[in-house]
Amino acid sequence: MLIYREPLPEDCPPETAEEIAGLRIVYRLVRNNPPIADDFRSQRAENPGKEFEDISECRARGVSVYSSRAVVNRWARSLHFKRQGMLVCQVDLDRGAGQIQRTGGRAHYTWWPLAAYDILAVCLVV
Amino acid sequence: MKTIRPTAILDYYDGVQTFEGRDAIGGHYIGVFVDVVDKIDQYLVTGVAPERLRQFRAGLLDLRTLLLEAPGGEWYLTLSDGSGGKDFILHPQAEPLAAKEEFLPLPGFLMNDDPIDDQALRAARERNNIVFEFRLQPPEAAAAPRVRADTLAGLLQRLQTLLKCAGQSIAREMPPRQRPADAAALCLMDVVVPAAPGSFRVLLEAAQPLDTFGPRLLLRSLERIDALFAAADAPEQAAELLKPYPPSLTAAYRKLLGFLAEHETSLWYAWAEPTCRDASYSGVSAATAIRLSQILTPAAPAKTPAATKTPA
Repeated sequence: MLIYREPLPEDCPPETAEEIAGLRIVYRLVRNNPPIADDFRSQRAENPGKEFEDISECRARGVSVYSSRAVVNRWARSLHFKRQGMLVCQVDLDRGAGQIQRTGGRAHYTWWPLAAYDILAVCLVV
Repeated sequence: MKTIRPTAILDYYDGVQTFEGRDAIGGHYIGVFVDVVDKIDQYLVTGVAPERLRQFRAGLLDLRTLLLEAPGGEWYLTLSDGSGGKDFILHPQAEPLAAKEEFLPLPGFLMNDDPIDDQALRAARERNNIVFEFRLQPPEAAAAPRVRADTLAGLLQRLQTLLKCAGQSIAREMPPRQRPADAAALCLMDVVVPAAPGSFRVLLEAAQPLDTFGPRLLLRSLERIDALFAAADAPEQAAELLKPYPPSLTAAYRKLLGFLAEHETSLWYAWAEPTCRDASYSGVSAATAIRLSQILTPAAPAKTPAATKTPA
């Protein structure tokens, strides 16, 4: 049985999510350099009271990543993330990283990491 | 008590960052994530004119300007705590928004994406064919799904030309024996849903059934078009990115961008074939189309000065 980093609801990740079977590079905004485990907490773990119509509990328990560095760089300059001093981190996902699904725009993905995947060993602030 | 109901998520990153909403009488609003209060997201909300909202969605107007030009300078804060059910309760703020720098985004924060759902993949499976879906945001679509007939016809024609050119460029790379006699004809697509509900969306499918050679060439042509649209992520490197492709294909791409720029519309698309796991998404905002069009349009050759007669 697969054990995810955070408890997930039933039928999560969804059937349409893809198992990460080979190397793929994604980017995430982090607060710390070098990144720490808390930089990869889901929005549900960060804000248990968060509610928004149309966002499923499954998605709220995933982690946002971008496949495009250009897009994540733009986010790093946005009001909220700039104020928090967020940094762009490259994460190398590979077999055993968990499941991933494109959610929303061209480059935004939700990633459900497996507990055994050592994220901190494969991420680097760029 | 004023309330709005979110109608579209415009930007998402570990939660909703920007959303669009409507009030009970159809007024348009924009909400922007500003902070977390007692572990609940707080949003800044202002009313917006539909055309200005469209311009923001098309990348033509930055978020700060959109928020600061709120009608009557009215602005609100709201919490996504579910206390209003599906609606968000708006709490009016007395201080001018311009004085609340901590709530305002930096100048120049533009939309450069438009989330679309998986209709293309669902339709590809239902129709057992390659499906290409696109969405337009021309000025006439600011208040309701609508597009000028000329704009739609012009866009369809340019898209089809781009596909044909992509197919021909791929065919030229094939060994002569495998090369199809009429590559362009194999890349034809038919409009099957001229105005899908939601916003102004159009669905096309391969004109030929999936079990013929045509769709395979069409798939490769669509992948090539994705590669062309990748230039939208890095306009400064666009000329370099397009170098490997034949002039006829880049010219067709340039014409499409010029058309989008002229009509100030974004173009977002998704395509899929029945067996794929995920639709391929791409597109370009109106602002980027204008920029790319300027970058890629060859400069007119300098005019040779007319020979002047020297007085004897």
